[in-house]
Amino acid sequence: MFRSKRPRKKRPIAVTLIAWVIFLLFLVRLYQAIEPLLDAGIFETGLTGPLFDGWWLTPLGSALLTSTVYSLLSLSGIIVLVGFLRMKRWSWIVLMVWTAISLTVSLLGYFYGRPNYIVMASDTFIALALNQADVQRIFRIRTDPGERLD
Amino acid sequence: MNDLTDRPRMPADASDFGLLRRFEPVLKFTRGEKFHPTDVETYVRESSLWVHAPDPAGERGTGGRDTLLVPQGELDLEKLIEPRPAPFGAVHYLRFIEPLSLSEAALALAEQARLNAESKNTFHAGLGRLARGGLFPRVVDALFSASFLLRGRVPAALAAAAEIAYHRLQEENPRYNYYGRVVRHNGWTVLQYWYFYCYNSWRSGFNGVNDHEADWELVSIYLYQEGDQLIPEWLAYASHDFRGDDLRRRWDDADQLDFVDGHPVVYAGAGSHASYFCSGEYMAEANLDLPGWVRRGFAAFNQFWTETLGQKSFDPFRIPFVDYARGDGFSIGAGQADAWSPVLIDDSTPWVSQYRGLWGLFARDPISGENAPAGPMYNRDGSPRGSWYDPLGFAGLDKVPPPPEALTLLEGNCEKLTARQSELDWLVPQKAGELQAIGIKLKGMEGNPHLAKQYAALEKLKDTLGAEVRAMRREFSENSALLDGLTKRLERLRQGIQDDPQAHIRHLAAPVVAAQMRFERAAQTWAAISLSLLLFTIVVLMLFTPTYLGTGLAIATILFLVVESILRGAFVETVAVITTLLAILSAVILFFHFWYWILIALLLATAIFLMAQRLRELE
Repeated sequence: MFRSKRPRKKRPIAVTLIAWVIFLLFLVRLYQAIEPLLDAGIFETGLTGPLFDGWWLTPLGSALLTSTVYSLLSLSGIIVLVGFLRMKRWSWIVLMVWTAISLTVSLLGYFYGRPNYIVMASDTFIALALNQADVQRIFRIRTDPGERLD
Repeated sequence: MNDLTDRPRMPADASDFGLLRRFEPVLKFTRGEKFHPTDVETYVRESSLWVHAPDPAGERGTGGRDTLLVPQGELDLEKLIEPRPAPFGAVHYLRFIEPLSLSEAALALAEQARLNAESKNTFHAGLGRLARGGLFPRVVDALFSASFLLRGRVPAALAAAAEIAYHRLQEENPRYNYYGRVVRHNGWTVLQYWYFYCYNSWRSGFNGVNDHEADWELVSIYLYQEGDQLIPEWLAYASHDFRGDDLRRRWDDADQLDFVDGHPVVYAGAGSHASYFCSGEYMAEANLDLPGWVRRGFAAFNQFWTETLGQKSFDPFRIPFVDYARGDGFSIGAGQADAWSPVLIDDSTPWVSQYRGLWGLFARDPISGENAPAGPMYNRDGSPRGSWYDPLGFAGLDKVPPPPEALTLLEGNCEKLTARQSELDWLVPQKAGELQAIGIKLKGMEGNPHLAKQYAALEKLKDTLGAEVRAMRREFSENSALLDGLTKRLERLRQGIQDDPQAHIRHLAAPVVAAQMRFERAAQTWAAISLSLLLFTIVVLMLFTPTYLGTGLAIATILFLVVESILRGAFVETVAVITTLLAILSAVILFFHFWYWILIALLLATAIFLMAQRLRELE
């Protein structure tokens, strides 16, 4: 019995490089998720105080919220990374939207005197790499004339 | 109508009037069209004649002076052509509608509304032009509309008054004229049908580019003679920016042409009266008149955008307009309810050749869109009109012989080429033999220093002869290819096989597919309100958060673009474009701050690359 094999798509170098950048950003976000918990001493003492003071967050609540947001970001980074390495169309779109938002925030930060050049550089790299014609073709974002879209 | 035998024919000795009548087109208008081809004599009698004189030398800023020459009611075609000396830069023009006071304008608008309600001849735009373009063209469109504040324009009430006046004239004397001209050039018999309209209401009636008093439109039919018969071969319809070959269609082009009893059908654009071969809605684009440096700067960016970044090319300075040529309204001609009243004209017709002025209001528009046109024979500046003096060149037919002559011309070409090939066939071996003889003589002279002078002279002769032989061989080879092509074409012509009827067309005017929007209703509403909404947002930001105006504006613009893209079904494409633009901005900022380090990194990378390459060579 023969099993028909789908031809393996060759992964362009730009895809591998983007994957590495996503992984690095995942590590950055992971650090950003852990840092507030370390500062609040949660790993040593656990949740010892209240999270809310009326309608407002306490410093502990704020640290937990920040950590949760960054944890979600790093988790989404991993999901996108998996989709990206499997060359799924949705991962390209999610990553492009994400990069657009991140670039907007970075540029606003720059113009308001809080620049983050590392994030700006990595986002610029991702945006330009995602726009490469062969990357777009492999993710079915751009099709050649007459090519069938699966 | 595809077959040559099906084509209508006329005897070659038929009168000009008979020829014009046999092929006169059927004109089909869009529902809502208010003006139809009319009689120039009646129009002139209803008009006044004016002259616009420029500022006298040394005086500037008044914009010139307008003087009434002949008041309304006293003008006729004879008075129109009376010689009237005028200074350089002066413009003679007619006024169909006299200047209106505020109350007269209000009355005209009210009367127009009443007429429309009575006739039920109303226009429905369907998918509006603004919904067909993106957000940026809408912004440019707003600038285009604002430019009317600086440019001269035809007042809005003028269209209403013109409509009422035309309606009254048609009630008194209902007739639909065309002005036919027959001219014979280079084996072609050209039938020109000129249509005169009192008013072009494209902008005021159909959201188009311009309005102006008076409008001249042209349809041409080109016939050739075979035996004692005249047979139609080409049609050319004047239409906006189309020129030359793009204007014409072959009589047997079934995809592009409609006929009624052997009469071609012309679909007139609503308000614009531009002529189309197929019914439908056509996207016309107006370019914003920008300074050259802006255009050049954008062209450079566009090159970087498309070639370096691999993005799709775009021109944000083009404003989309729709020319509605639906053909679902009034129609005139063979098989229709209303018939033509033809009038013959030629170079000797006094009002055609002796009046060089404008046929309607001179609105002082520097780009002329709102100024009335001149007559069939002249351009606005009084110079001769190309379509009048060169009707073949106008439709790109100056290089095309009539079909029976094409065969003779081609046979002549083939005969000439064959004769030249025979000549070369005899000449080349002769010359090549001479060259070989010189070559062997030169060999014999080598090693004899006392023959140096003769050797040099002979070598020069060898070079000249060698070049001659090479040229003849090249000519023979090129002629063979050419002869092969011409012979094949000759065979096709002899068998009666014709080219693709559209082979000559570079830009084919094709109607647009109307339903391209996902959420049509929402898209239309969004197109109508988006620009105002953006302006409201800016006002709110300026009032409540002036310190974050830049941020708010950037975010609002991006959000508007995203909403637009969702409605247009182009979300992914739009996000990619936005991200790329943001990335370019970031790259510029990063380069500005870290150019020194970027330079070092580039040098390091080059050094490593070169070292790796050289080391690989050692292995």
